Amino acid sequence: MVTTTNTKPGRAVLQAHQIRKSFGSKLNSTEVLKGINLQVREGEFVGIMGPSGAGKTTLLNVLATIDRPTSGTITIDGNETSKMKDAQLSTFRRDKLGFIFQDYNLLDTLTVKENILLPASLGGLSKKAAEEQFNDIAGILGIKEHGHKYPHEISGGQKQRTSAARALVNHPSMVFADEPTGALDSKSASALLGTLEDVNKSRGVTIMMVTHDAVASSYCSRVIFLKDGAMYSELYRGDKARQAFFQDILNMQAVLGGDRVDAR
Amino acid sequence: MTLVDLVLRSMRKNLKHYYLYFFALIFGVTLFFIFSTLQHDSAVVEQTDLSAKMASGFQAATVLLFGILIIFVTYANDLFLKRRSREIGLYQLVGLTKGAVSRLLIIENILLGAGAFIVGIGAGLLVSRLFLLLLMKLVGYEGFVNLSFSGAAFLQTAAVFAVLIVITSFRMFWKIRRSQLIDLFNDDQKDEHPKQPKPIRSALLGILGVAMVGFGYWFANSEYMLNMFLFLNMLLVLAFVIAGTYLVFRVTIGWLMTLVRKQKNGHIGLAGALSTAPLMHRMKANAKSLTVITTLSAMTLAMAGFAYSMYYSTEQETRVRVPHDFLIDEVGEGNEGTSAETAEQFAEDLEAAGIGYNRQSITYLDLTASMSGDHLPELLNWEENTVTTLIFNTRELKAAGLDIEEPAAGEAMIHDSGISWLMTDDVFPFEASVAAGEGTEKLNVTSLGTQEVASGYAGVYTQLTVSGETYDQIKAAAPAESQRPLVAFNLDDKDDLAEASAIFKNYREEMTLDFYSSYKESLSYNGITIFITGFLGLAFLVSTGSILYFKQMSEAEQEKRSYTTLRQLGFKTGEIMKGIRRKQAFVFGIPLLMGLVHSVFAIKSVSFMFMSTDITLPVTIAMIAYGLIYLVFAVLTIGYYRKTVHAAL
Repeated sequence: MVTTTNTKPGRAVLQAHQIRKSFGSKLNSTEVLKGINLQVREGEFVGIMGPSGAGKTTLLNVLATIDRPTSGTITIDGNETSKMKDAQLSTFRRDKLGFIFQDYNLLDTLTVKENILLPASLGGLSKKAAEEQFNDIAGILGIKEHGHKYPHEISGGQKQRTSAARALVNHPSMVFADEPTGALDSKSASALLGTLEDVNKSRGVTIMMVTHDAVASSYCSRVIFLKDGAMYSELYRGDKARQAFFQDILNMQAVLGGDRVDAR
Repeated sequence: MTLVDLVLRSMRKNLKHYYLYFFALIFGVTLFFIFSTLQHDSAVVEQTDLSAKMASGFQAATVLLFGILIIFVTYANDLFLKRRSREIGLYQLVGLTKGAVSRLLIIENILLGAGAFIVGIGAGLLVSRLFLLLLMKLVGYEGFVNLSFSGAAFLQTAAVFAVLIVITSFRMFWKIRRSQLIDLFNDDQKDEHPKQPKPIRSALLGILGVAMVGFGYWFANSEYMLNMFLFLNMLLVLAFVIAGTYLVFRVTIGWLMTLVRKQKNGHIGLAGALSTAPLMHRMKANAKSLTVITTLSAMTLAMAGFAYSMYYSTEQETRVRVPHDFLIDEVGEGNEGTSAETAEQFAEDLEAAGIGYNRQSITYLDLTASMSGDHLPELLNWEENTVTTLIFNTRELKAAGLDIEEPAAGEAMIHDSGISWLMTDDVFPFEASVAAGEGTEKLNVTSLGTQEVASGYAGVYTQLTVSGETYDQIKAAAPAESQRPLVAFNLDDKDDLAEASAIFKNYREEMTLDFYSSYKESLSYNGITIFITGFLGLAFLVSTGSILYFKQMSEAEQEKRSYTTLRQLGFKTGEIMKGIRRKQAFVFGIPLLMGLVHSVFAIKSVSFMFMSTDITLPVTIAMIAYGLIYLVFAVLTIGYYRKTVHAAL
């Protein structure tokens, strides 16, 4: 295990202990996650990398309460989510978590603004407060002027920024992003990642992102490498420049799976 | 694996999508077979003596049934084919030829059709007796009727279903032949992108739609409707209402929703995101089918409401035409001068049978009159012709037991069920100049009676009732041969009517002189009518309900991804279902509501045909029954959505 020192102080937002996840029947099951221990501190921007089948997305889904672990405990913001009932989990997700998906998952029949404000709709937020939050977050992400447009009328990068705005509008404790740049061209991708990095720094939002792209993960403050369902290693960016960190990540990938980086 | 294996496997896999379609097919076969059986069964026809009436009614019904079945089956088939386009594409991708794929689908279609046919015939055999009993009860026939398996009905049903299957198979073949592989893979996701409607254009069209429907309603109930262009007027109303309905669906609803949505300024909420937004988005594509459904619903409702009202009001409406239980007149060969004598014999027979009665002689005057007034109905052309007018003495009628008011001297009340629908309030008062001998008697006609005062020959003509003094005055002036004697019998106990009616047939054969026979005759007509409209209505209802269900089923599939997203974002199934229920309230509610309103106006415009009955109650009952069955489909649909949402995460 290769580890650099942790330079980011702060409270632990997410704690995962001995996470295991198996699929299939009792007799014929495949263990995808093989006992993962993980801690994410407030304000961190964590990337998860690894070859195909390493269990990246499964880990993200389990941590994000979309899926349940077979065993192990997960605590987010002091709440043990692995013990919660489905209904409690729903409320928890809505209040505490934000999600960004590879294919945006915007509702086609809603405008950009309606999509962004959707999570706020059941939160008992006043219209005025919701309006303020929208102006705030849409301003940061540069999509305020597209508020009245439908998703099919804007570009992929704008869609993903809408998705990010939707994830951030409720001031979540943590944002989970699954391959957010997977469907974007490189220019839109770096613009989005730059914005996420900004938001992470300026607002102190904790972000966990699954990606297979070394460029994308170079925006993170820490990158965790998975292999065959277990933690293989992790890299901290520290005070390094992005270029240098990028080189570290490439080196790690070479160690991890030869030259072959999965291309999904 | 042979093609048949593949067919069986794919059918098993698709069973959960098919079951309602299968059920609807079975229902169609059963109904058709029963109709056909009742029509062909000689025992039924003979024993009930309904052959002529039955034949035409049932024939019309079978044609309509066939029509609705074709619409429904082709529609459902198209929907299923669209749903399965990815599967069809996959078959082609792995190397099946288009011919083989068509064969696969056609075999499936035939198996499904054959299965529905067998089950439907079986169900038809089981329940046709029940239907027959119901029919017999409705037409008021008491007795035992045997029903045997009808080969002709079986063949007719088989032929109709063969036609249906050939049509659908051919459509499938045609669709697959023309399809491109790439389209097949995108077909189930092909969605029109939501667009901002052009505000001025949609406002204009939206208002126009409502205005057209409103104009249709107004026109149908206005004074301009009832003239010699009645048929053209009806077509005009129909065209306006249907076109208006289409515009309402296509533009108005979307436009109104846009206004509401604009006001919300992005704060649409979950319920709105699941109801208003997808509804607006699909209104354009759904406008045609919703219009068809609304029109069918309105037709069914108007039909059922009207038929049930007819049935419901049979007794009262018969009383309008045949006011006395029995009436003896002198019309017809060999009857001249016999009324008093015949009445005496009839009275003796009644006494012998122990039946209590009230006998009253009524003498009316058979004269002509010319009418003049400011608002006489144009259609009658009274101003240019003299009208055969019968003058009755109110006192005699009262003595016979009619509930009638005596007009003041020189005034008269008009009784004529044939033209009462033209006699609106503004027609009165008008003047009737009755030709009595050398001179004329001027009568001021002030109002319309709710029923006729005599039936038979006297029922054919316009009747005027006058006070005793006025009657004597006209009688004195008129020639003696204008006096026509009648004897009215009214029984003390109406339970004796059937027995007395049998005796009465020895003296007079004219059915309208005998209330009981007239009533039975009307009842059997109205019974058949309600039987046919009831079951046709049910067929219409089941097909419209199923079409809505199928449509919603594919919408649910298309929106599945949204539900997954919403569940991931932390919305609970219950919260999502709230929005979906709201959407279903619109999807099912708007066509039902518009259908109801259409039918209310349709029934209102023909309600003049009911002289003495308030048909609000029967119409309301028919509408509630319709609404309840319709609701079943809404509940089924919501159940399907719940399953989809639940499975989305």
